[in-house]
Amino acid sequence: MEPENFQELFHRLESEVSKVIVGHDDVIRKVLIAFFAGGHVLLEGVPGLGKTLLVKSLSQVLGMSFKRIQFTPDLMPSDIVGTQVLAESDGRREFQFKKGPIFAHVVLADEINRATPKTQSAVLEAMEEKQVTVFGESYALESPFMVLATQNPIELEGTYPLPEAQLDRFFFKLLVTPPSPVDLKEILQRTTGAESAGVSRLLSDDDSRLIGGMKQLLRQVLIAPPIEDYVVRLIYATQPSSSNGSMAESPVKQYLRFGSSPRGAQSVILGAKGNALAEGRVHVSYEDVEKVVYPALRHRIILNFQAEAENVNTDQILGALVKQVPRT
Amino acid sequence: MRELSGQNSRESPERLVSRLVAQLSHQVLWDSLLCFSPPLLVFIYMAGYLYHGAWVGPLAALLVTLVAIGIGILVVTLRYRPLVPSVAKASRLVDEHAGAKDRFLTLATIDPSRWPAGLVARLRAETASFLDRIELRRDFPYQVKNSFYASLIGSVLALLLFHLLLPVAHSTLTSLPALQRLREVAEKMAVRPRLLEIARSLQTLAAKLEDPRVAHEERQALIEETQKKVGVQQRKEEQKDDRDLLGQAASTLKNLEQQSGAGQDQQKNNEKGGGGMQSNLPQEGQGKGKPSPGGGEQKGEMSAQLSKDMQQGKTAHGDPKEQSGEKNSQKQGDGKSDQPDPNRPDPNKPGMEKGKDSAGKTQGGGDDKGGRGKTSEEIPQGTPPADRFHQAGEQGREGIKGARYVTVQLPEEVAAETKGEKGGNKDAKGNRVGSKVPVSNVPLPAHVPDAPTETQHMPLEYRGIIR
Repeated sequence: MEPENFQELFHRLESEVSKVIVGHDDVIRKVLIAFFAGGHVLLEGVPGLGKTLLVKSLSQVLGMSFKRIQFTPDLMPSDIVGTQVLAESDGRREFQFKKGPIFAHVVLADEINRATPKTQSAVLEAMEEKQVTVFGESYALESPFMVLATQNPIELEGTYPLPEAQLDRFFFKLLVTPPSPVDLKEILQRTTGAESAGVSRLLSDDDSRLIGGMKQLLRQVLIAPPIEDYVVRLIYATQPSSSNGSMAESPVKQYLRFGSSPRGAQSVILGAKGNALAEGRVHVSYEDVEKVVYPALRHRIILNFQAEAENVNTDQILGALVKQVPRT
Repeated sequence: MRELSGQNSRESPERLVSRLVAQLSHQVLWDSLLCFSPPLLVFIYMAGYLYHGAWVGPLAALLVTLVAIGIGILVVTLRYRPLVPSVAKASRLVDEHAGAKDRFLTLATIDPSRWPAGLVARLRAETASFLDRIELRRDFPYQVKNSFYASLIGSVLALLLFHLLLPVAHSTLTSLPALQRLREVAEKMAVRPRLLEIARSLQTLAAKLEDPRVAHEERQALIEETQKKVGVQQRKEEQKDDRDLLGQAASTLKNLEQQSGAGQDQQKNNEKGGGGMQSNLPQEGQGKGKPSPGGGEQKGEMSAQLSKDMQQGKTAHGDPKEQSGEKNSQKQGDGKSDQPDPNRPDPNKPGMEKGKDSAGKTQGGGDDKGGRGKTSEEIPQGTPPADRFHQAGEQGREGIKGARYVTVQLPEEVAAETKGEKGGNKDAKGNRVGSKVPVSNVPLPAHVPDAPTETQHMPLEYRGIIR
């Protein structure tokens, strides 16, 4: 796989999804980067912004199997991963494993924070291990496998916010914001007319090798040691306990309870590599890092009570950090 | 330029970065040298100046210069090393100038063996396309940093300060005893062959001046003789350094001559029995008559009061009971003192000493006849002030224009004279040696008649004991 091929295919995928999703080009790009980096995405936004449509469109464009799980408080783990059912074949009765909706290339975990922690953990285990274990037997999940979970920042009554350890398993957390007036007008024109826009499939079933090649190329993108050092400094700067004197007056000590894990650094580097390839480069630049710092770290740094009280969000803190941490 | 661009395009990006690192290193070295050169040069100049002015010897000057150069090199090295740009920093600069989005940085810092060769080759090809945008001399020219200007200004200020403070230091050094100075000058001259003879003369003079057996006249003659020699040599000398040294010797000799003359005067005064301190400073209580009798030339008043109190063995503030009387007498005394009395005895004449003493006793002993104590009795009086003081520009006794001097009589001399004149004083009023008390026209603080009793703070070391 050549970088030019990657960029070309990437742009085709982007433009195809953009046919149905208006005004969220950045979200589409980040979802695709996460897909090729082998990560999962948590989408956060109020209802009606096209989160589900985005995931559906993506799976259609990629030509991959798609399952949607609507998370509710009474959803059980077996409803997701599958269960053993007694089946009769050749006059014999035996337990057969009936696969749950998790067995798909792209899984939409809609309103994941509405299910109980037990059910959430079943999904999150599958996300990490890329396999499920039922009655002592392990079943590998599809490859490529991607979970796109959504959660609603409002209507928090009766919800079970995802624990920090489980949030950490998402590669990116993307914020789906309401469209601008121009975008809204475009949405109306596309969806209320006689012809509704649809997406076409760009990859066939046999293109799984192509996707594998793209994933491999992404990991081969060159990154200079000084840029790696910069990422390390950024991650280290998110630690409230870091003894960095220059960060003494930063919002980190004031508003953060926990900093990012090493997984955050991995996400930043891989995300930056994906961004570089998407822009047609075979090397990572500082700009790539700064573009992916927010989606990669915003769910990995934990605010304290003071930040909640003062209505400070993680993006503000990350913005301050990007300004404070020197590139060299 | 076209040729340079062509050269750049043939050059590899890594080579360009290496060249930039070298160029920036040279610039940093220049910065460090420029920053530390002015103070170093000033320091060396100071050492040289002090050497030429014979303040320090040649070895010391050389040593100081060498140490300064060594420290300068050390400081430049210490400053230069951390400022040498790294490859990463240089490549980032190239990236910024060329808009290469960290291509130079990546190419210059990655280990190509760890990465796919195809991608590295592709990156090198991409980066090479940016080479035409960079011309090292044009894009990274050397600019003198502000640190150099600051250093230059600081050094110039230090140089000015040096030249301003040098006379102060010189005067401090020359405040050493004249004989010691004479020896020092002689030592300095001794190292210069042309001044060797003068140096020997000075050393001989110093030895003779130390000898108490040498008569005063002989000393004076020796000094004058040496002065002449120095003057002759000074006229002959063309070199500035030697002339400076001779100038120092001349001034020292002048001082010695003055001291010698003053000593002679002192001796004469002592022989006359003139008490304590004499001065040619204008004494306002005596001098310039003022029309208002009670106008209070404070200095004259305080002088009179001091004399009286001292005669009575009291402090300046004295006994409060007597203060009113004192005040009265002071006022009258002031009134009197303002009018120059042509009949006053000349304090320089030995015969007049007694009159002065008796006047002092009259006041101190409480002669209440109208309370008209003469305030001038404490201060040697004689010719009218107009005659006693030199006019502006007129040469004084020692040949110094407008010279003001104070002759101090040592306590031992006072004691010796007291013994000799005790009988005579007793005859007058049975009083003690009032006239032998050192007299000065040095102004005292203003007297406050109704001032509260002075309290003295308990010394710290006694507080614990009393408590």
